[in-house]
Amino acid sequence: MAWIEAKTGRRRLNRLAHPARVLRVIAAADFKLRYSGSALGYFWSIAKPLALFSMIYAVFGHIFRLGSISHYYPVSLLMGIVVFTFFGDGSSVGMWSLVQRESLLRKLSFPRLIIPTSATLSAAITFAINGAVVVVFIAWNDIGPRLSWFLVVPLLLELYIFVLGVALILSALFVRLRDVGQVWELVLQLIFYASPIIYPIGFLPPFARKIVFINPLTQVLQDLRSILLYPDLRPNRLTIAQTFGTSAARLIPISIALLTLVVGLVFFRREEPWFAERI
Amino acid sequence: MLSGSSAIEVNDVAKAFRLPHHRRTTIKDHLLHPFERTTFERYVALDGVTFEVKAGEFFGIIGANGSGKSTLLKIIAGIYPPNRGSVRVEGLLSPFIELGVGFNPELSARDNVRINGTLLGLTGRELSRRFDDIIAFAELEHFVDQKLKNFSSGMQLRLAFSIAIQVDFQILVLDEVLAVGDQRFQEKCFATFERFREEEKTIVFVSHDLSAMGRFCDRMLLLERGNVRSYGDPAEVLAAYAVINAA
Repeated sequence: MAWIEAKTGRRRLNRLAHPARVLRVIAAADFKLRYSGSALGYFWSIAKPLALFSMIYAVFGHIFRLGSISHYYPVSLLMGIVVFTFFGDGSSVGMWSLVQRESLLRKLSFPRLIIPTSATLSAAITFAINGAVVVVFIAWNDIGPRLSWFLVVPLLLELYIFVLGVALILSALFVRLRDVGQVWELVLQLIFYASPIIYPIGFLPPFARKIVFINPLTQVLQDLRSILLYPDLRPNRLTIAQTFGTSAARLIPISIALLTLVVGLVFFRREEPWFAERI
Repeated sequence: MLSGSSAIEVNDVAKAFRLPHHRRTTIKDHLLHPFERTTFERYVALDGVTFEVKAGEFFGIIGANGSGKSTLLKIIAGIYPPNRGSVRVEGLLSPFIELGVGFNPELSARDNVRINGTLLGLTGRELSRRFDDIIAFAELEHFVDQKLKNFSSGMQLRLAFSIAIQVDFQILVLDEVLAVGDQRFQEKCFATFERFREEEKTIVFVSHDLSAMGRFCDRMLLLERGNVRSYGDPAEVLAAYAVINAA
């Protein structure tokens, strides 16, 4: 804390080891807390996106016949739902994290950044479990692995950076103004329908494609589809590079993701000293 | 025993809070003035407080309710930023504020000890080595895997205190530790304090138990409405407090 000039013992000299330990312990507790008191526990983390998938697939895949366009519609839809669920989950859990740990914030001084970071990490664990289900779907569709699949790693990193940035901004805002919770619920729905999750991006007119690709979520999702679901129809796995005609276009959503994190960090650090008394 | 070097230096610390005025109480008021700004009143909790705690001493802070004791402890513990002034802390500080260290009611005692012990600076290895001591001191051997929400306030207090004293602190900050524990636990706390005195640890202690304060403190501070009223020799400070209370 900036207002205290503290010369602490030798242990604290290791400035990174302590926050890292705290982060690990709190993230483990967060993940445990999510399903504490529920009979099926972690099963719910798989069941919820699968249930959402089944509903949407029944309505849009069958009734609206989107499923007849491509053999890969189900796995493509599931991938979209899982990626979006991580975004919605990480940002919402992150937003609530400070307020939920109120008693800790009021009684101990520690880097507050640990709390929302831990919340997004526990969402990332759920995301990893859901990702395993997507992999099963991919294998079921007889899609074989390729060397390019390693590109999934930087894409997921970009997605996490974006989610963390949004979570930092929302958590600090939420301490000041609880209305943010209601607004974010609506914004999440808007983002869901403004992203090519249910419908293939090829359904959008060209100018609209360019707009939705500004969202890092869309860029990551379409890049994932083009890498992992390579046998799918081309309009279903359009990437930002193909839409703008240059790979450099990818820099727009990537910069937005990075900028979100930077803004989140700066805003969070500015608000941090006041959390204990404003919460 | 008092080496003369300072453990905590508090220099001209001032702190004010904004108290919102809830003048709009009815639905009609909300409908008529939806965007009217809430007005705030400034409440000055601390108004230029200066003192020093020497390394290895037992330092007591007394004062009536609302005199600023807890706010002062929170600023020393790094939880609140002061509006003015500075605080210097020399050594690892272990705080015990507002009857606990912020437990999570949905987690077991075991998990809570792990979280709070880690937050206070214990490593995983130290924690597993000291875990039994923490539970034994709190006398909660049978409740280790119970959720904290099932604990009585006395049990939570004992657990929080046990964790706070198991950290390798140089400075222990205690806010009203004697308020909830029973007679026997209080005696155990006093015995622990004696041990800390021998180990030359610094303790900052807030309590309304004036006889205990007189018994343990090397020096004291009396706060009155955010100002230092008396500072130094315990007998003098307690006498000054008696004068305030008589008035």
